[in-house]
Amino acid sequence: MNVKKFGNKLASLGIILAVLFPFGFLLMLSMGRRWVFPSLLPEVWTPDNWLAIWGMQSGLGASLALSLALSLGIASMATAGSFWVSKQVAYHRHRRRWLAMAYLPYVFAPVILAACLQYFFIRTGLSGKFWGVAIAQLFITFPYGLIFFTSFWTERMLSMEHLIATLGGNTWQAYARVLLPVARGALLTCFFQLFLISWFEYGLTTLIGVGKVQTLTLKVFQYINEANIFFAALASCLLALPPVVLLWLNKRYVFSIGFSGPSRSGKSGSKDQEILK
Amino acid sequence: MQKTSTYIGLGLFLALTAIPLLLGIGYALLFSLGLTGILSEGFTLEHWRAVLRSAAFWESIVFSAYVALVSIGMAVSLALFVVVRRPHTFEKGPLSFFIYLPLALPAIVMAFFIFQMMSKAGFLSRLAFQLGLTRSLGHFPDWVNGQYGIGIITAHFLMALPFFLILYTQMYRHEGMRALMQQAYTLGATRRQAAWRVAAPALFRRSFATVVLYLLFVMGSYEIPLLLGSQSRQMVSVLTIQKLQRFNLDDIPQAYTISVLYSMAVIVLALSSLPAYKWSGRKLFNRSRTVLKE
Repeated sequence: MNVKKFGNKLASLGIILAVLFPFGFLLMLSMGRRWVFPSLLPEVWTPDNWLAIWGMQSGLGASLALSLALSLGIASMATAGSFWVSKQVAYHRHRRRWLAMAYLPYVFAPVILAACLQYFFIRTGLSGKFWGVAIAQLFITFPYGLIFFTSFWTERMLSMEHLIATLGGNTWQAYARVLLPVARGALLTCFFQLFLISWFEYGLTTLIGVGKVQTLTLKVFQYINEANIFFAALASCLLALPPVVLLWLNKRYVFSIGFSGPSRSGKSGSKDQEILK
Repeated sequence: MQKTSTYIGLGLFLALTAIPLLLGIGYALLFSLGLTGILSEGFTLEHWRAVLRSAAFWESIVFSAYVALVSIGMAVSLALFVVVRRPHTFEKGPLSFFIYLPLALPAIVMAFFIFQMMSKAGFLSRLAFQLGLTRSLGHFPDWVNGQYGIGIITAHFLMALPFFLILYTQMYRHEGMRALMQQAYTLGATRRQAAWRVAAPALFRRSFATVVLYLLFVMGSYEIPLLLGSQSRQMVSVLTIQKLQRFNLDDIPQAYTISVLYSMAVIVLALSSLPAYKWSGRKLFNRSRTVLKE
């Protein structure tokens, strides 16, 4: 029995080490210099690469700020917009047809979508601009948010809205006092996921931004092309850091505040009633 | 009578989903037929003929399908094997958090990592040299930028495996799999039979729409094959973008032709697989919730 337990613990440790290996490997490269074959580790170890993040030469700090601004903006806009629009779609009599349409941009390769739309971005002067990339990213994040939220709008939600109206509440009060608090967990989850879609995006950003909107994903590719593996590793670490933090926050807070999303079983009903009170 | 907010909502929906897609495909179709663009000389099917007769196009379709089927096939099989054999491995304890970490790696970072691991001057090559398995850099096999797409498959496999492990763990937990197994035992099934004849097929069937969507996602992937693929055998996205960005202007209509063909294939595959398996917004909602949960 003890041997089995020990074996399980050893296997768990092995999996954890395997999962952490890519992060450790990238961190090692980001702190190294001169990695000549056949050395297993870099010959020089230095924190200089990390210290150069905010230096003018690398431009990594600017890329980090740009990526954060872009992804936070996209996630906020797409979450808010898709939450509201999904309600109109969910209660529409042709709900299934609308939803089928929303799946198409979601399954489409973003880079091919960008290739097809490039002409329109050039004509409107949005090509190579921050706002052009933002609009293009909305085309892939908004449908995701819409599909995500459509199932939130159940019969129960509709009944709650009717109840608010019966009690004299207006639409604004329905959103502020009931719908948004009930959807808090779903809104946060969707926000995180849309942030990640935007944060990870490369092909569409390259084509619409024509290399001028230098997000971190573009920086990684630029450093790889320049054969600067140490800065590519550093940019990779910066790219992986926010998702790791979000995962931790997600585990720590989002689901601990209680997900009171749609439930037909009525498990979250008592919570909704409390909010209504 | 519909309310104004409904019209505004549906208008926004169309503006951000259907209209861009229709505009994009429409423009690509017109360009591929010679009806628009700086080189257009009127209606022609020449570019379509050129693409459909080109070996590179068919090779890229077959290669994309091969990469998607092998990488996702391996990831789904292994994830099913692990979850059916040990359903509680990723449910509790530190593994329930650590299994999410690989999802934090963007495709471009995963491609860079695989390149640094598997290329001729990469970590594995150095390790093989230190262990005396190879005598020089050149003796290490072409795992990256090679003909068989080993690097691309490895990268996609490593990205998909944690996703399917989490998916199947959550499905096993939330979709009555324990009760199903119990029923199988009651009917006289052995542990092995209950696992492989009941749980595994049931999990696979319930995840089929997700598997198809993931296959489409891998088939259309760009960053990973761009960095880890070879020049002679390209995946469909890479081929399209290379044709679009080449100096030869005759290649541009062909790039749009490939885009239209790819779009049609994706639309047909997605629409034919989604309703058949009752893929619904609710499933995505619940899945996203459960994938991020714990």
